[in-house]
Amino acid sequence: MWAFSLSYFLLVPEKKNMKKEKYMYLLALLPFLLVAFLYEIVPLIMIIVNSFQPDSGGGFTLENYQTVFTQLLYQKAIRNSIKISLISSIAGILVAFIGAKAVYHGSGRLNTIFMTLLNVVSNFAGVPLAFAYMILLGNAGFIVHLGQSIGWDALAGYNLYTSNGMAMIYVYFQVPLATLLLIPAFRGVHRQWKEANTLLGGTNGIFWRKIGIPVLMPSILGTFSVLFSNALAAYATVYALMMNNISLLPVQIAGSYVGEVKTKPGLGGALSVTMMFIMVIMILITNGISRRFQKGRA
Amino acid sequence: MSYIKFENIIKTFGKNEVLKNINLEIEKGQLVTLLGPSGCGKSTLLRCLSGLESVTSGHIYLDGKDVTDVNPKDRDIGMVFQQYSLFPNMTVEQNVAFGLKLKRMPKEQILTKVGEMLEIVGMSDKRDCYPSQLSGGQQQRAALARAIVMEPKVLLLDEPLSAIDALLRHSLQVEIKRIQKELGITAIFVTHDQDEAMVMSDMIHLMYQGKIEQSASPADLYTKPASKFAASFIGHYNVLSSEQFLELTGEEIPCENIAVRPELIRLTDKKTDDPDCYHMQGTVAVSLPHGNFIRYGILCGGIQIDVDILFTDISPIPTGSCLHLSIKKEECVLL
Amino acid sequence: MQKKNIWNTAVIVLIMLYLLVPLIVSVIYSLFEKWTDVLPEHFSLGSYMSIFADPAFRSSIVRTIVMCIIPIIITTIIVLLALFVTTAFFPRLEKYVQIICMIPYTIQGVILSVSILQRYVGSKSFLSNRLVMLTGAYCIIILPYIFQGIRNGMRAVNMSMLLEAAEMLGASKLYAFFRVVVPNIISAVVVSSLLAVGIIFGDYVLVRNLAGTSFQNMQIYLYQTMKSDSVKASAVFVVIMLVTCIIAGVVLTLQNRGKKPDKS
Repeated sequence: MWAFSLSYFLLVPEKKNMKKEKYMYLLALLPFLLVAFLYEIVPLIMIIVNSFQPDSGGGFTLENYQTVFTQLLYQKAIRNSIKISLISSIAGILVAFIGAKAVYHGSGRLNTIFMTLLNVVSNFAGVPLAFAYMILLGNAGFIVHLGQSIGWDALAGYNLYTSNGMAMIYVYFQVPLATLLLIPAFRGVHRQWKEANTLLGGTNGIFWRKIGIPVLMPSILGTFSVLFSNALAAYATVYALMMNNISLLPVQIAGSYVGEVKTKPGLGGALSVTMMFIMVIMILITNGISRRFQKGRA
Repeated sequence: MSYIKFENIIKTFGKNEVLKNINLEIEKGQLVTLLGPSGCGKSTLLRCLSGLESVTSGHIYLDGKDVTDVNPKDRDIGMVFQQYSLFPNMTVEQNVAFGLKLKRMPKEQILTKVGEMLEIVGMSDKRDCYPSQLSGGQQQRAALARAIVMEPKVLLLDEPLSAIDALLRHSLQVEIKRIQKELGITAIFVTHDQDEAMVMSDMIHLMYQGKIEQSASPADLYTKPASKFAASFIGHYNVLSSEQFLELTGEEIPCENIAVRPELIRLTDKKTDDPDCYHMQGTVAVSLPHGNFIRYGILCGGIQIDVDILFTDISPIPTGSCLHLSIKKEECVLL
Repeated sequence: MQKKNIWNTAVIVLIMLYLLVPLIVSVIYSLFEKWTDVLPEHFSLGSYMSIFADPAFRSSIVRTIVMCIIPIIITTIIVLLALFVTTAFFPRLEKYVQIICMIPYTIQGVILSVSILQRYVGSKSFLSNRLVMLTGAYCIIILPYIFQGIRNGMRAVNMSMLLEAAEMLGASKLYAFFRVVVPNIISAVVVSSLLAVGIIFGDYVLVRNLAGTSFQNMQIYLYQTMKSDSVKASAVFVVIMLVTCIIAGVVLTLQNRGKKPDKS
């Protein structure tokens, strides 16, 4: 009897302890959750809630969205943002594809140097980038001088300070990112496929059209959606050159909170939600197309 | 009462019942093997004993004590994992000393114990190496030393040799067996390789689909399989149903299946009339050299029967030859 | 075959030139007093001397360094703890931790900064402090990179097996985690921290929107000098780029060094 009750006290609480101990460890999750809630989740929810509230006070309204989609200024911002993101992402992908393909075929030191440069340059964005382009292509920039002295009007008259001129900078920061993302994807194109294609009588062109690009397509689309989001949200570079004098979504968003005499959180919220919405739509579209290319693969 | 006892162990993962009421007893000082195809539950059973996995219901007793709900670190159990379980930031010596340090054993004592243990597993000259500088076999020796230096009540080996190439695996099997006997450790070995199980075990528990299919000594398991599964998993038995057997030999058997090992079938050109044998006819369909024997696939009325013949200097039988097969009645296993 | 190699080399060299031109031009620009024609004139290191003589620049360096270190320490610790709990005890929760960690990757700087500003600017507590807001925002913006880095590190060392092995030898899970797992993923932690340094170092959006231009870090300093004196700004630019290069270089060497022992 004594032995029995002893073993009861020794063993039964132990079982509870094991479970309890496990849940004790949940405490270690708390700091993470605290930071995430304070600075990510709560502010994001707030911004969405704000977008449905009039700036004058409480209540529910759609007027912010109405403003976003009817006022010319904001319509233009949305159009410009989508346009510049699309153009720069497509251009970035094209250059990156050619570059990554060259890395795939090449080997040795040059590849290593190229990869190192890509890594360094991919950190090159924001104000420093804007500054470099100002020196290069600004009103008194080096290339503009060069264009003037050799009489090449396209360069001499280049105007950086327009949304088209700005596209040049966007392409610049898209290229290294896109190339870094595509190089690993090319490793999935096995050389044996190429050899089989040659033995079966296919040309290089046929290989890339029929096998190479379809195999790479999911990666290309994935990269595209990363580039698109990247361009859509780019702000520092643009702001450094143009301040608020250009109609792009991020500029309008920041403008409705910062620097104005009176902030417009409702409008800013609606603009933010619109921007996130565009990103999500683009991700869904690229995922959808990508799925078509993934047939036959687990 | 036996040293280790599993009592009505049931383990489910979600809807999937991986262990279906396992009852098993293991004697002290033995090396027993849990053998079975992958997914049969052998590793899960081992992990339940270690405490790394909790049981859904049932009890586990170790050395007379119910350890079902005891924390793994308090169970006095050593374990050797498949691979890469050595701590990569520590040398072999530091790895082996890790558990002893946690026990707060005095430094000199740790040093001597670790030294002795490394001597036993033959790793003394590698004591200052990091795991990445060792071969797979050396890593597993060190892992073995790390587990047994703790003098555990039972040593669990979860397919420790599966990632090691064939030649080295054989020498390690012998070595583990030697160390186990030398130190008198109780050990449970998990493997899917029947040859490995045969070489190492005092006792084999064959598992299939979450149940113990058969518990026997290696010799008994090989010569007297108790089920169709055991017969086909061990020793490459030919298993025929009673109807098939009737069709081929014209003789009735008093059970559902009959199993014959391929090396026990004799091949002759002409029919013999030995009344102690079953007889059948067939044509050689394939012949596959297997090292010291040749395995002939012989088609008998649409059923392939495998026959192993020792590789002697007599020239192999050409495919297409018509042959007579005779099997001693007493050597057949009825299932 | 020969022709193809030349083509590949040409492509790579061309892209490298394209990427290097803005950098090279800016470096040359910083080294000359005047560049109003095709060729620059009057070589001088005056711009570098003037920025390093400027106390505002020196304190901007200090601000940048402090604002890099604090958020990285905070985020590394909270992610380590969170991943420890999910890997060791609640594997199902990892999915949710991952989602939380990946959100900042899609929303990026502008929305994050304005949402934090909007939420806390009116608060009466210490949360309305601009630097507290900025620190919080940095913790979030580097979350995806720290999370990925640490998780990949844990995968590479097969953390759950190491934990089990240590536990069988009598260690508690927490002890095993800090004694066995953390030392083995330290290089992954360093690499992801350095990536995070690169991100905070290159940030302008968060600091401008949250702390305002009065909190002069290197990016703000560059922005302000760029508007007044472009030669001086180019010197600041070169300093920033040098630091960025060094960080990227260290990351690359660490990553390559980490690859080698696996093969042997």
